[in-house]
Amino acid sequence: MQLRLKNFLLPCYVVLFCIFLYLPIIILTIYSFNEGGFPAQWKGLSLCWYYDLFASIEIWRVFLNSVFVAFMAAFLSVTFGLMLVYGARKFTTNIASFFYSNILVPDIVIAVGTLSLFSYFMVPLGLITLVIAHTLLGLGFTIPILKARLDELDPRLVEASLDLGASAWYTFYHIVLPFLYPAILVSTLLVIIVSFDDFVISFFCAGSSAQTLSLYVFTMIRSGISPTVNALSAIMLLVSSIFILVISLLQVRLAAHDESK
Amino acid sequence: MFEEFKKLIKSETYFFLITPAYMWQIMFLVLPIVFVVVLSLSAGQGAHLVQSFTLQNFYEVFQLSQIRIVVRSIVLASTTAIASLFIAYPVAYFLALHIKRFKFFFLFLLSIPFLINVLVQVYAWFFILEKNGVINHVLMMLGLVEKPLNFLNSYFAIYLVMFHVYLPFMIMPIYSSLEKIDTRLIEASYDLGASFRTTFWNIILPLSMPGVQAGFFLVYVVSFGEYVIPSLLGGLKHFFVGTLISEYFFIGNDWHLGAAFICLSCGILFISAILYYVFFNKITVRSKVIR
Repeated sequence: MQLRLKNFLLPCYVVLFCIFLYLPIIILTIYSFNEGGFPAQWKGLSLCWYYDLFASIEIWRVFLNSVFVAFMAAFLSVTFGLMLVYGARKFTTNIASFFYSNILVPDIVIAVGTLSLFSYFMVPLGLITLVIAHTLLGLGFTIPILKARLDELDPRLVEASLDLGASAWYTFYHIVLPFLYPAILVSTLLVIIVSFDDFVISFFCAGSSAQTLSLYVFTMIRSGISPTVNALSAIMLLVSSIFILVISLLQVRLAAHDESK
Repeated sequence: MFEEFKKLIKSETYFFLITPAYMWQIMFLVLPIVFVVVLSLSAGQGAHLVQSFTLQNFYEVFQLSQIRIVVRSIVLASTTAIASLFIAYPVAYFLALHIKRFKFFFLFLLSIPFLINVLVQVYAWFFILEKNGVINHVLMMLGLVEKPLNFLNSYFAIYLVMFHVYLPFMIMPIYSSLEKIDTRLIEASYDLGASFRTTFWNIILPLSMPGVQAGFFLVYVVSFGEYVIPSLLGGLKHFFVGTLISEYFFIGNDWHLGAAFICLSCGILFISAILYYVFFNKITVRSKVIR
């Protein structure tokens, strides 16, 4: 009897946990279809807030800003990460550990530090400073992922290629890059998500001109709520979920590949 | 000229490959942090330095009201980290050791709250905690309360949402360290007649300790500087370290004081983290002694 109770208790606990984790998100999604707009009452199913959202010019501008920053940051941090990981592959010290600090240092310290440095050197705040800060953030995610993957590559493959007369560039392009490809994709998507999600660093480093989605949502929540936020949040939720699904699928494939080896 | 340059690149390939990432790290992480320390030790307007060296800022910041806010943040971070550790461990344990199929699906389910926008998560809580939100609706329907309770702008709301947002940060590291455990060790322990309790304390927990520590310190440090949740859910009454820093920089416009406050609170954070670290090591050693 006791054993059966035990077997039953843990799954129940996990289910409750998942409900707690998901309840707010689900309620938010449901209410984004509410005609009444605000929590108060349920006034019937409607897509009106979605129409409002897509009709707004402001939101498209903000969205394009976010896309620009996210893609630039992803491109730069993956490129730099690749260069570092490949260049340092023979080093005995663990080069990735230096970059963990980007995740571990509280956001607000990075944000304040970069803000004061930029304003000391009179760098105008805007999208460029955002890209710089988000690239820094991204390096903390890309380098550990890429390094873990590169460590699995048999170094003899690279040596064989070089021995057989291939140039360093040819070897990189035809041996290393295809092997790293899934990890590159995962880290790119991850940096895009992280950049889209980041609020604190954007809040300090964006200045007044450049707005990103996170900042836009924040000001909308702060300054009396327009129900278009509901629709916007639901869409952001959906998009991140799709990205995360792709990431998890890729990681499953990576794991399966490793086992088959 | 060009040829020479090419030669240089070829002979120093490693150096050129490594430079950009390290440069970025040094210019935009190390240098800013050093600059904050410099700001805290000088006086002037905004980011400009007028007086070269002074401890005046620290005198002004080192006061009871500020220390109280730092302590409040420490309590918040500790509570969040400890509570989410206890709640998250069984879930990670279940996922890593009990689920055989659909593991991918469960991991995906846990990654969504881990990676979605914090603002969206906080905003979603508004629907539940609001004056005419879901909780009040349910309470009124059950007849437990006469008029709607006010949940927003309170410590309760802040703690609840902090806890909700940081739970997934705790699960991931614990899960990955539990996943790495060789299941044969656990089976051997059972085969040799050990009970579940003995197996857990002597095998599973010590082997998952690296994940527990990683999760704990990640949540502890990151939630210490939290800005979004206190500023949206706490109103203007409840100040924490993150909100006070932004107050110094945006509203008070006194960057030097703000920098001094950052140094002060990071110092206290560092000391408390070391204390926790020592504590964790003691636990680990003790559980090894029992064995």
